[in-house]
Amino acid sequence: MRLVAAELVESREILPRQWLQSYHAPSLAIGSRAGQFVHVRPGDFSGLVLRRPFSFNTIDAATGVVTIHFRAIGRGTDWFAHLRTGDSVDMLGPLGRPFEVDPRSRRVLLIAGGLGIAGVRMLADEAIGDGRQVVLLFGAASAAEVYPSNLLPDEVEYIVATDDGSLGHRGYVTDLVTEYEGWADQAFACGPAPMLAALARLAAGRRERLGVAKLGRKGGGRTDAPGSAAARRKSFLQVSMEQNMGCAVGACLGCVVMGTSGQPQRVCREGPVFAADELDWEAGW
Amino acid sequence: MKAGRAASSGKAHATRHRPGRDRRPGPVVEPIGGGPAEVIGRIDLSVELAPGLRLDNPILVASGTFGYGIEYGDVVDVQRLGAICCKGTTLKPRIGNVTPRVTETPAGMLNSIGLQNPGVDAVIERYAPTWAGWQVPVIVNVAGESVEDYVEVARRLEGVPGVAGIELNISCPNVGKGGLQFAIDADAAGAVTAAVRRATDLPLLVKLSPNVADVRPIAKAIEKAGADAITAINTLSGIAVRPDRSRPLLGNIYGGLSGPAVKPVALRIVYEVAQVVDIPIVAIGGVSELADALDYFAVGACAVQVGTAVFADPTLPIRIIDGLEAECRRRGFDSFRPLIGTALPRKPGASSAKGVEYRP
Ligand SMILES: Cc1cc2nc3c(=O)[nH]c(=O)nc-3n(C[C@H](O)[C@H](O)[C@H](O)COP(=O)(O)O)c2cc1C
Ligand code: FES
Repeated sequence: MRLVAAELVESREILPRQWLQSYHAPSLAIGSRAGQFVHVRPGDFSGLVLRRPFSFNTIDAATGVVTIHFRAIGRGTDWFAHLRTGDSVDMLGPLGRPFEVDPRSRRVLLIAGGLGIAGVRMLADEAIGDGRQVVLLFGAASAAEVYPSNLLPDEVEYIVATDDGSLGHRGYVTDLVTEYEGWADQAFACGPAPMLAALARLAAGRRERLGVAKLGRKGGGRTDAPGSAAARRKSFLQVSMEQNMGCAVGACLGCVVMGTSGQPQRVCREGPVFAADELDWEAGW
Repeated sequence: MKAGRAASSGKAHATRHRPGRDRRPGPVVEPIGGGPAEVIGRIDLSVELAPGLRLDNPILVASGTFGYGIEYGDVVDVQRLGAICCKGTTLKPRIGNVTPRVTETPAGMLNSIGLQNPGVDAVIERYAPTWAGWQVPVIVNVAGESVEDYVEVARRLEGVPGVAGIELNISCPNVGKGGLQFAIDADAAGAVTAAVRRATDLPLLVKLSPNVADVRPIAKAIEKAGADAITAINTLSGIAVRPDRSRPLLGNIYGGLSGPAVKPVALRIVYEVAQVVDIPIVAIGGVSELADALDYFAVGACAVQVGTAVFADPTLPIRIIDGLEAECRRRGFDSFRPLIGTALPRKPGASSAKGVEYRP
């Protein structure tokens, strides 16, 4: 974790009110992993007292550039949207724990609902770099909100669902999952809470006959501590969670979700990535 | 009563020298062509909040915003802080409130964490050994639902290496009094303070709530009950509404307001309390730059805590310490003591006697 002055090098409105921004931040571009995030300070402290968390959307170690993708929905995100090239912002990161891909996974399924794409986008790069096949299922309200395919690596098989049927499958992205869950060794998702809860229900109980479970166990069925990187690596479904944040370093306990252990889990510290079975999807928080 | 006395009370800003450490103020160099003499060498920023609780400087971090002192370790040199107040600690573990627990508001934020903590025994086991190795004092913030809760937590903290003192968070519902907060009732605030005072020799700070009509009788009761110092303020009660207006935003409906928005309220409370008690006052509320700390000193505080502002700028407390030293040097002071109480009424009796009457 470091405090870094990051310079805006490019800012584009890629979808209505959705911005893709590139920042020069070499010390974050090295060693940060898909699923982790930065906590970025809006300028005007007298009005905006909290930083805003953004997933790493992509990072490029060669150029030292990290990108973030967000929707301008309030005073803080509007402030970021109005930044000009050359402006500098204060980033705290890398924060949180990354996605854990089992080394034996060949086929990786990414599932994104709307802006949730920002949470899994970088994993596409990592997985392709590691020689895995990647299918991305993406859901949005309508064609106007669909993530542009030219922003994805060519190797990704990109399948779209829209609520109104204006592009791709008509219906929810979760409808598409049944078709691919048999194909996938592991699945990684980010999006609205109801979508993640639906995916967790689909994945629950199927774990033993799906995905990484079929890959055969090394080490004779040793059980890893729940929440450990090793345990997550073996889980079929990992989800990236969102929650309002204060500190983003584990100090304020503002950002919790309920764990199956009955203990609140900090999204900023134990997460934002969790194995789906670490969380209590019925708890209502 | 006693206007300005906090400013002249020796206890509030003792400059006693710790043996074995050079704390002598530096020599004063005559200015060329008038103006205050710039001080070369060491400025004394130390402050004694209680017998046995002496801080190297008057800048603390506030309970609930700095965890257990370890979370910001990568980016903050915690050893330089005046002291750390840890997250509210209760007798039994608490899982806290449903989410959302935090939201930004104009120039501030609301939180309703619900005192999530692992309980006093786990706090002692997990964190005290680390604290014991630190030079920076750690003050354990204590919460409870009955006098017995507070007393028992204090007993367990007594004598634990690494625990430098306790700060009572009395903004908690008192189950024995139908859920009425200790902090809004002078008798209850005095009773819980006295009971904890009897149970422990640890330095004892008691934290005021702003959610009362007149804070002065409460502060006096706390002083009378034997508290070493008063800290003020805790958060102001507030709510926010969901963007779709379907219900209040926070899972717990009610939250506590903090940040720059609360500073005028906190400043008023410190100003009022400073005129009725002799024990040291530690100010809390919206401190986000050196000027805020100086304002609090001016109305009688001898130390400040930084809370919400740490989220935006974790290095702020350290920069305020450096800024305070530079300020003293520039003004020719070899300690920060002359900054305390300068805005309090000069004449005893000319205090803010009207303080509360104009308020609704
Ligand atoms: C997220 C959060 C958690 C807090 N938790 C506690 C707590 O456990 N005990 C306590 O006495 N005060 C707690 N407070 C109150 C702060 O210590 C402080 O009194 C208040 O925030 C005002 O200071 P500020 O404006 O600098 O934040 C909390 C404040 C925040 C923002
Ligand atoms: S945001 Fe403070 S603990 Fe996660």
